[in-house]
Amino acid sequence: MVTLASAPFGVPLLLEQAALPAPRRLRLAELGLRPGATVTVLRRTAGGGRIVGVGDARVAVARAVLQQVTAVHAAAPAEKG
Amino acid sequence: MTTTTRTVTRPSVPSCHGDGGGEIVRDGRPVVALVGSPNVGKSSVFNTVTGARRSVGNWAGTSVEVGSGSWRSGGLDAAVVDLPGAYSLDPLSPDEELTRDLLVRPDRAELPDVVVVVVSAADLARTLYLAAQVLEQPLRVVLAVTMGDVATRRGIDVDHAALSLALGVPVVAIDPRRGRVDGLAEAVEEALRTPVPARSLRPCGCDCAPGCSCTCCAAGATADAKADPTAGPAGDAAHLAGDAAHPDGGADGLDGDDELAVADRRFARIAAAVEVATSRRGSARADWTDRVDRVATHPVAGPLLFLSVMWAVFQLTTRVAAPVQGFLDDLVSGPVSDGARWLLSAVGLGGSWVEGLVVDGVIAGVGMLLTFVPLMAIMFALLALLEDSGYMARAAVVTDRVMRAVGLPGRAFLPLVVGFGCNVPAVSATRVLPDARQRLLTVLLVPFTSCSARLTVYVLVASTFFGAHAGDVVFGMYVLSIVLVVVAGLLLRTTLLRSLGQEDLVLDLPRYQRPALRLLGAVTWTRLSAFLRTAGGIIVATVVVVWALSAIQIGERAQEPVRSSAYGRLSTAIAPVFTPAGFGDWHAAGALTVGFVAKEAVVSSWAQTYATAEPADLHQPGGLGASLRGDFERSSGGHTTAAVLAFLVFLLGYTPCAATLAAQRREIGGRWTLVGVGLQLGLAWSVAVAVFQVGRLIA
Repeated sequence: MVTLASAPFGVPLLLEQAALPAPRRLRLAELGLRPGATVTVLRRTAGGGRIVGVGDARVAVARAVLQQVTAVHAAAPAEKG
Repeated sequence: MTTTTRTVTRPSVPSCHGDGGGEIVRDGRPVVALVGSPNVGKSSVFNTVTGARRSVGNWAGTSVEVGSGSWRSGGLDAAVVDLPGAYSLDPLSPDEELTRDLLVRPDRAELPDVVVVVVSAADLARTLYLAAQVLEQPLRVVLAVTMGDVATRRGIDVDHAALSLALGVPVVAIDPRRGRVDGLAEAVEEALRTPVPARSLRPCGCDCAPGCSCTCCAAGATADAKADPTAGPAGDAAHLAGDAAHPDGGADGLDGDDELAVADRRFARIAAAVEVATSRRGSARADWTDRVDRVATHPVAGPLLFLSVMWAVFQLTTRVAAPVQGFLDDLVSGPVSDGARWLLSAVGLGGSWVEGLVVDGVIAGVGMLLTFVPLMAIMFALLALLEDSGYMARAAVVTDRVMRAVGLPGRAFLPLVVGFGCNVPAVSATRVLPDARQRLLTVLLVPFTSCSARLTVYVLVASTFFGAHAGDVVFGMYVLSIVLVVVAGLLLRTTLLRSLGQEDLVLDLPRYQRPALRLLGAVTWTRLSAFLRTAGGIIVATVVVVWALSAIQIGERAQEPVRSSAYGRLSTAIAPVFTPAGFGDWHAAGALTVGFVAKEAVVSSWAQTYATAEPADLHQPGGLGASLRGDFERSSGGHTTAAVLAFLVFLLGYTPCAATLAAQRREIGGRWTLVGVGLQLGLAWSVAVAVFQVGRLIA
């Protein structure tokens, strides 16, 4: 399991959870970043954040937020417990 | 379709205290509300169906207030309201709150008659979330699907009939960017003929047992919500706000996990609908948006590209407009003024005070403004091009770090960018920010963004004193504007606003799109005509006031009559304040005093006072420039360049206009507005003095 902040670029990931306050989790979900979604961290941005691809959509997310979002490699089964 | 507009909503003024709300005021016609996520083309739909020219842009926050107009097409005659873009009915900012408050109300009589939810075919799953929430309300809903062309190019086919069947609402495919909204009016008309649904399917995530008495279950069990005040929207409002009656809820009602469970069911419903209604040819792959973004959001190349783009905008603006400006200047100061004098002489008013007011006042002032029309048109068109292309969202990403240095999120850059056009809408645009303290800080910083009215003065002064380098000086003013925003932000953050909220960047990046010429033209014209209307009115009023003050002689008559007038005496009294900055001349002081009302009037008041003092000058091209050069040289003791730069710095930093103050007072109250005025005057004066004193030593 990795956080999106430390995830390798260009690798499809299965999003697990976001340890953020509910309104922020909900907003991420509305933008497509919700548990079970396949996302790809595409590149680093000028502010230290990342551009995250969710399907055809692109979302710029700050590093501090990405550190709270965990994911596993899409090909690998999600860890239990 | 019609361009007639009338007020059908009365939104209360969202403030930094987050009290956004509003109500729909009926005029007997059905009310149609347009809602949608940011970047789906909602304002384009509004403009197309009403013939209005609301500002549109391919970035979140384009609409932060409710727009209203009339929609007449075929048998439809409705009032239409354009609500601020929202990702959902769970608001995180005042503009989203305004949308929620107008759609989720206990009293059905206050609800719109039909809601058109605009969604993007290219991003159906995400943009349907708001639609799913609206469908849970007792509202007639029509789904308008935009961006079909973008979806097709990306290999996505949408089966609109299947989508309609899956969601249980009429679905219409439209292309508002090209003015195609066929079928939408008919669908709205048809919806108006159907009864208002008592309530729709709500994916309540409560796992309630049969007979549960919680508010949402009670509301769901009621067939006719009108008969039960707790039913329908009241139940939903409770759900959205937190339902204290629910047995699974905490002390504050539904907790975050409950809301997320409800949201998950909505997403599942949407996913099922998208599954049956879309098909994909091939797999998603990097397209030109990704390729451009590799540069536009790159840690090093991104900021360089941003600076290059801004530099190009101001170079193009000043260089392309210069020849046309010269032509118009000659036209106004020559044939137009001469013609007016001839006409006035013909009716026996030659040499009278009327000639002075009309020729040296109104024609000189308004004429000077008109010479800036090409310049403003070019700048507005270029900014519209950047907005419509989708680049502005990338600009917010690359400036995020700079914004964060002053305690603001990257999203705060968006209202600040608007400020480079005009500070007044920029102050309103701060409503896209969720945190009240961050909104307060942004409102206080907006006046330091260099609005287009200031550009007219920069260009005149820079052309007069810096010749071929005028474009560089103007660009430098915009860079300095950003520096002042940062400096003022740091000052406020370390003094009055120490406890700022922290909101990290989460920003949807719209796909780049080829700007539509029709939209660019409409937006440019809207902004240009608004500028001319505002500036024209201000200039005529100011010219009359300045002329009247100039006509009143106080004390002994000076060699220059204007100097001993009320205007001259007042300006002379203020001038010493600017002596340490090198421009303690009464002409400059008078123009800056007038500029406190509006920067549009600075150039006209200069033209007016110099024309009154030295009437022969405006008969010759460059007469105003020669007067300015002489006065700046005198007031600076020969350090003209340093004094001119100091003047430009002061002009950039001090209070932009009375309208901005009114907008600030509306958003943050009178006390903070006064704090802002003090900050602007203090900072502008200090930096101007520093520029002159340092410049005097260097030169």
